[in-house]
Amino acid sequence: MQSTWRRARAVRWAVPVAAFVVVGAAVGAGPVIAAVQGDPALPDRTAAQLLAEVAKTAQHQQPPAMSGTVVETASLGLPSLPLPSGTSSSPLSLLSGSHTLKVWYGGDGRLRLALPGQMSETDVISDGKGSAWLWESATNTVTRFTLPEGVKGDKGKEAEAAHTALPTATTPQDLADRLLKAADESTAVTVENGQHIAGRAAYQLVLTPKDSTSLVDRVTLALDGETYIPLRVQIFAKGAAEPAFEVGFTQVSFSAPAPENFAFTPPAGAKVKEQKPEAAKPGEPWSKDGAAGHAAPGAEAARAGARTHGSGWGTVAEVPFSLADLSKQQNGPRGGGDPAQMIESVLKSAKQVSGTWGSGKVITTKLVSVLLTDDGRLFAGAVTPEALVQAAGRK
Amino acid sequence: MTTITGEGAHEAAPPRVTHTEASPGDCSIVARGLTKRFRGGQVAVDDLHLSVPRGSVFGFLGPNGSGKTTTIRMLLGLISPTSGACEVLGRPMPGGLASALPKVGAVVEGPAFYPYLSGQANLLRYDAADPKADPRTARQRVGAALDRVGLGAAAGKRYRAYSLGMRQRLAIAGALLGPRELLVLDEPTNGLDPQGTREVRSLIKEIASDGTTVFVSSHLLAEVEQMCTDIGVMRTGRLVAQGTIAELRAGHEPRVRVETPHPAQAASVLNRLGLARVRTGEDDVEAELGGHAPEVVCAELVGDGVAVRGFTVVRPSLEELFVGLTGEGFDVDG
Amino acid sequence: MSTVETENSTSSAPTAADTPPEPGTGTATRGAAIGDASVAGGARSGAVARAAGAGHRDRSDASPGAARAVLRLVGSELGLTFRRPRNIAMLILLACVPVVIGVALKAFGSDEETPAIVTQVAGNGLMLTFLSLSMLVQLLLPLAVGVVAGDSIAGEANAGTLRYLLTAPAGRTRLLAVKAVNIGVFGLAACAVVAVSGLITGLVMFPVGPVTLLSGTTVPIMDGVLRVLIVTGYSAVGMAALGLVGLAVSTLTEVPIGAVAATVVTVVFSQVIGAIPQLGPVRPYLLTTWWSSFDGALRDPIATDVMGQGLLVFAAYALVFGAIAWGRFSGRDITS
Repeated sequence: MQSTWRRARAVRWAVPVAAFVVVGAAVGAGPVIAAVQGDPALPDRTAAQLLAEVAKTAQHQQPPAMSGTVVETASLGLPSLPLPSGTSSSPLSLLSGSHTLKVWYGGDGRLRLALPGQMSETDVISDGKGSAWLWESATNTVTRFTLPEGVKGDKGKEAEAAHTALPTATTPQDLADRLLKAADESTAVTVENGQHIAGRAAYQLVLTPKDSTSLVDRVTLALDGETYIPLRVQIFAKGAAEPAFEVGFTQVSFSAPAPENFAFTPPAGAKVKEQKPEAAKPGEPWSKDGAAGHAAPGAEAARAGARTHGSGWGTVAEVPFSLADLSKQQNGPRGGGDPAQMIESVLKSAKQVSGTWGSGKVITTKLVSVLLTDDGRLFAGAVTPEALVQAAGRK
Repeated sequence: MTTITGEGAHEAAPPRVTHTEASPGDCSIVARGLTKRFRGGQVAVDDLHLSVPRGSVFGFLGPNGSGKTTTIRMLLGLISPTSGACEVLGRPMPGGLASALPKVGAVVEGPAFYPYLSGQANLLRYDAADPKADPRTARQRVGAALDRVGLGAAAGKRYRAYSLGMRQRLAIAGALLGPRELLVLDEPTNGLDPQGTREVRSLIKEIASDGTTVFVSSHLLAEVEQMCTDIGVMRTGRLVAQGTIAELRAGHEPRVRVETPHPAQAASVLNRLGLARVRTGEDDVEAELGGHAPEVVCAELVGDGVAVRGFTVVRPSLEELFVGLTGEGFDVDG
Repeated sequence: MSTVETENSTSSAPTAADTPPEPGTGTATRGAAIGDASVAGGARSGAVARAAGAGHRDRSDASPGAARAVLRLVGSELGLTFRRPRNIAMLILLACVPVVIGVALKAFGSDEETPAIVTQVAGNGLMLTFLSLSMLVQLLLPLAVGVVAGDSIAGEANAGTLRYLLTAPAGRTRLLAVKAVNIGVFGLAACAVVAVSGLITGLVMFPVGPVTLLSGTTVPIMDGVLRVLIVTGYSAVGMAALGLVGLAVSTLTEVPIGAVAATVVTVVFSQVIGAIPQLGPVRPYLLTTWWSSFDGALRDPIATDVMGQGLLVFAAYALVFGAIAWGRFSGRDITS
């Protein structure tokens, strides 16, 4: 009887333990199962072969219609940003934490991006007929962009871009060779096979900087094995196992999304703004560059004084900059918090440095270092603080 | 279980401190080696062997803290024994809980009800918890149970407004919701006035006369003695005596005491009559009365010419017996 | 019970019990009393046979009968929950919140600073429901559910009613399941009260028309009402998941206020964790993170992936904490 009770007790506690294991296994095994269910292994490709395939596809085919969920995760090592509440769908919030972006692409320039927030949503909708809307539910505003004729379709745009960049490249193979050759000086390029992203088999290009001052350990770019659509970008900082920045699909489908996604009628009661074609930069709100996001107001004011030092991964940008200017710029372009306040909180963690050039403050994150000199210059780059100090001394 | 008829069959039997082993079929409750050791090492019940015959009114006696309630909780499946086994209505616990308990009515450690519900609603609530109870007859059964404990008039009153005695009655009514084969009543007269105590006693007898086994725990000897056919005595977690009241009395037979100037002559008369354990004193003689009628003994003495100055029958009370068994006095002022 | 036997016992009782034992008669009387008992014992089988017919179901109809018995206990449990003054007060309080919000909006209007969702209420009464739920789902609704859930077992244990339910016998697993259902229904009721109160207040105080979703799409009013239903249902499932956490806590203690406090503290604690950016990776595993994901129903198309994930998280919590509650409760010593 005694043993029966004991056994009964063991069985009873086995049930919650089993429940916990089942849940844990479901959480842990989900990606594994997805990977196992993914497409069979892809044929091996060298970097050159892969790039040639990508170029060929880009030249001859329109990107396929697709929809999916993109998750962006930034752990740049920034001090926590004092984001005002209610701006969780603001682009600035992308600088820290994890964010989800929904993408619908219907071909022919029809695109919708949605950045969901807490009881809010920011949408960019391009209907493929020359109009694009930016809808921000938090402020109940619609911005309407009229796109210039030339950039109606993505296909034309991309092809055009490729030709502008490398006007002499004639075949995809040629293009790939040239790209690799250009990269070779600063970067080691390898290809990994067997990646599974959002249930798709993918190739992964790994770019490893050769410059020792770079904070970047490697950058990976995963391409869908079938369509060569980029599925994921990861940036690894030196000495970190987890990517400092990652943006990639967690779910992707290559079937045509419903056409309603690309239609937009400003809702009744919303404020509607019109934007001139030249100002139409639909990609801007999703700018992923942390440093640019910070310095934007100041940098715009003094773009003339900007210059760069070094090249490749070790490039250091220099711009005139002063905190006083920034404080005057009260509200950010999207009303997403006070930049001066943000900078101030960031500066709290700054380290004082000095050299022959004077003194200043260095802010180091996992990927980017920023040096603010007391004489009003700002140096920034994906390099070690020492490299910035050197650049400042170079005058 | 042996039934003592009192005709001298067990005249020399010692007090029954044995574990009466009856076949489980004859017993409503059987416990074998039941032990409960609480976390912290305190042994509340220690190797308890218990048999409650079917149809008996079993008094479960013991001072407060002797393990009575813990035993009852184990019998009802509320707590699990550290070791040992028990059967209720022939079904092993805790496996047979679901089939046995619908036939068991219980009052455990005083009444407990929802204060914001009426007495009737409270009983309906407990009735709903019994999967074997028929909802169609629920109201009727609840009404009958309330009437039986004299709460018919207070059925619609909120439990909050009940007096202590009414609460105790409601608890007993809760034990009578269905037809029961076994009633387990833990201190059923707690909080009742003498009138209420009498009513509960006669209610228990009435229920017992229907053939229902009643298992009553109490720390009050008087209560148990007046209504029980069988008794078990607990002392610090152990069962120190168990048997019918007659069995327990058996070792404490009534004795005759004859005051006489001729003790030797009187002793020979008593011996001739067959009285046991004749003890001769200076001017008195004592012997166990056994099955003999005192008046016959007295007549024989006088007939034989013994000068009888006084003739008394000494009957030891159960209380003395229990004090001997438990090593401490009971609260007997109930 | 037989009246004949009652008669019999009352007549013999005083003889056995109330007469003081006298020399020479005591033994005989006791013998008679025991004789009575054994005579009564002979009639026992008859009494039991009658018993089976009168109050207890036959065993043959066990399975439909068992289902009906469970329904009866659920009914009793719900009756208890919704008759309890404390719970009624909480529901009334919840119902008041949308009214207060509506009145405040009507009275004070809104300026440029107020979020669009608030200004939208002024334009469309239907939005009041969503606004109210989004405000209540983080604290007041979990509080109400936490009170009922934390109290569920601990309250019965504290009052001592648990021992009577279990000797009825309610059955431990059965009682726990009924309690879980009860908590779920209360969670749904609480969410529904907010939704209905929000709808009525919105209808009465503000114009009602096609609804503008978060995605900027405008849908017809019936579609909006459908989305109210989805939002209410989703929130109720989230509350039920919390309810099972509360139920598990409730099986650990006999102090209901402790269980309620522990449940509410769990909610607050996980909200604090969710608000710390450095702990971002933990957020998807927190219950509180997913409660507000009901706003997925206000997107176009409905964010089924996010809400589906939320429901999975709720289910995982319910499973784990339900199992803990069962593991604890099925073997616990009931000493209260």
